[in-house]
Amino acid sequence: MSALHIRNLQHKYALTEVLSQINLDLLAGETLALVGPSGCGKSTLLHIIAGLLTPTEALIENQFRGMACMFQEPRLLPWKTAEDNIGLGLKALNIPKQARRQQARDIATTLGLTLKDLDKYPHELSGGMQSRIALGRALIIKPNLLLLDEPFSALDIGLKLELYSLLRQHITERSTAVLMITHDLMEAVRLADRILMMVPEPGRLLGEFVITRPHSTRTDSWIYQKTAELMANEQVRIGFGLSAGNLALNQASHTHKQHVGCAL
Amino acid sequence: MTHFRNLVPNTLSYLWSGWGALASLLLFCAAWQLAAEYYGALVLPGPIEVMVQLQHLINNGTAVPELVISGRRTLYGLSLALVVGSLLGMLAGFSITTSMLARPLVTLLLGMPPIAWLVLAMLWFGLGDATPVFTVFVACLPIVFAGAMQGTRTLDNHLKAVAQVYRLPWHMRLTDIYLPHLASYLFPAWITALGTSWKVVVMAELLSTADGVGAALAVSRAQLDTATTLAWVIAVLGVLLATEYLVLEPIKRHVERWRVGVSQ
Repeated sequence: MSALHIRNLQHKYALTEVLSQINLDLLAGETLALVGPSGCGKSTLLHIIAGLLTPTEALIENQFRGMACMFQEPRLLPWKTAEDNIGLGLKALNIPKQARRQQARDIATTLGLTLKDLDKYPHELSGGMQSRIALGRALIIKPNLLLLDEPFSALDIGLKLELYSLLRQHITERSTAVLMITHDLMEAVRLADRILMMVPEPGRLLGEFVITRPHSTRTDSWIYQKTAELMANEQVRIGFGLSAGNLALNQASHTHKQHVGCAL
Repeated sequence: MTHFRNLVPNTLSYLWSGWGALASLLLFCAAWQLAAEYYGALVLPGPIEVMVQLQHLINNGTAVPELVISGRRTLYGLSLALVVGSLLGMLAGFSITTSMLARPLVTLLLGMPPIAWLVLAMLWFGLGDATPVFTVFVACLPIVFAGAMQGTRTLDNHLKAVAQVYRLPWHMRLTDIYLPHLASYLFPAWITALGTSWKVVVMAELLSTADGVGAALAVSRAQLDTATTLAWVIAVLGVLLATEYLVLEPIKRHVERWRVGVSQ
């Protein structure tokens, strides 16, 4: 079974330490949500896993083969039609044009896009449509690991819920591992199997909340209640700056000895 | 499919927009006629007189061969500058160091008067084809180089991240990410270079060769023949307008059809 293991991850921008002592495991089929206030290094951590940043120090074992990422913005190529944007990852895998087109059309129908939309350029489409296309671009390559950097945070609640359920459907069908970033606890409760709380200065993992309830039985009222419970948790309140106080950091993470670099 | 469906109306609307250009040119001719009547035919012959003279030059077989000679020199110098400038500019744009090193050189080269290059070229290459070709090349090179460098530097980092996450091979990064973005910087630079190339080739021929439009201008100047001089000027401008609006502009419109407002 594929998995992602991270041990003793530390990252610095110049002399500022932005991530410290991060230990994280993600197994196939699991959805892990990273929550925390803005500026706690969530995005940096995601970019490191996506291979966009090289950490200052880390042991990373990533057994997932196909990886896709959705960013905060749709980030579509403005000079490509919706269809070509969806098929971008397939083109990189040398899939012939005809097959790309067929797959893009198939996935577009499940995402609620019409054939007419597929011929349009991104600027001709609404923000919601662009997000659907970005989701299609990520799902079409059938990734084992899907990284989500708050991709739906700018969308209205109805559209958000619709895209969540489309996403959940794909995740369950293919047992994709998902690492999602969010500062919205309710979103995390709705989608995740485990929630990791992060705090800033430097970015650290504060603790983990496991949600055992199966996704199919998570009703809206249950989600509200669970979110309220989490919001009442003292550590979470302090982490988000809602209450004053000191954080009891997860001592377990300190049992891993930090690597010592070569002496000059 | 949509591209072909849009081709005919787009071409027609483009041709229709020619009326505006024609009106502007005719307005200019009217002002010219007014000035001609004020100053007299010896100083400034009117547009009709000049057109008749141009017709005469075409009929007696002098205009076309000279234009072909100048056109060939422009084409060689310009194509060389477009290829070398675009490639070097892109390479320079990929790295911050080379861009910083190149910037003052571009300013220096742009500031160097073409007439100075011409004198040097006459010393180096003598009075042959090589002198105007070299002068055109060296005058157009920094314009194209700066455009290509600017284009490469300004590519959105967000799109680069998309290319990296979806593992686009290098040739796809070039054709699907860099070149479409670069085109919007290269085309204006190419059009400026085209204008410069004709100006420079005529100047170079005036001083250094025995054939071409520039040499013909030198003869008409010696004969104090203002009408013939203006006829040659009109011929050169005609070629310039034709190249820009019949060749470069349609290519630009096709390549940038994804832009807001272009394809409508």
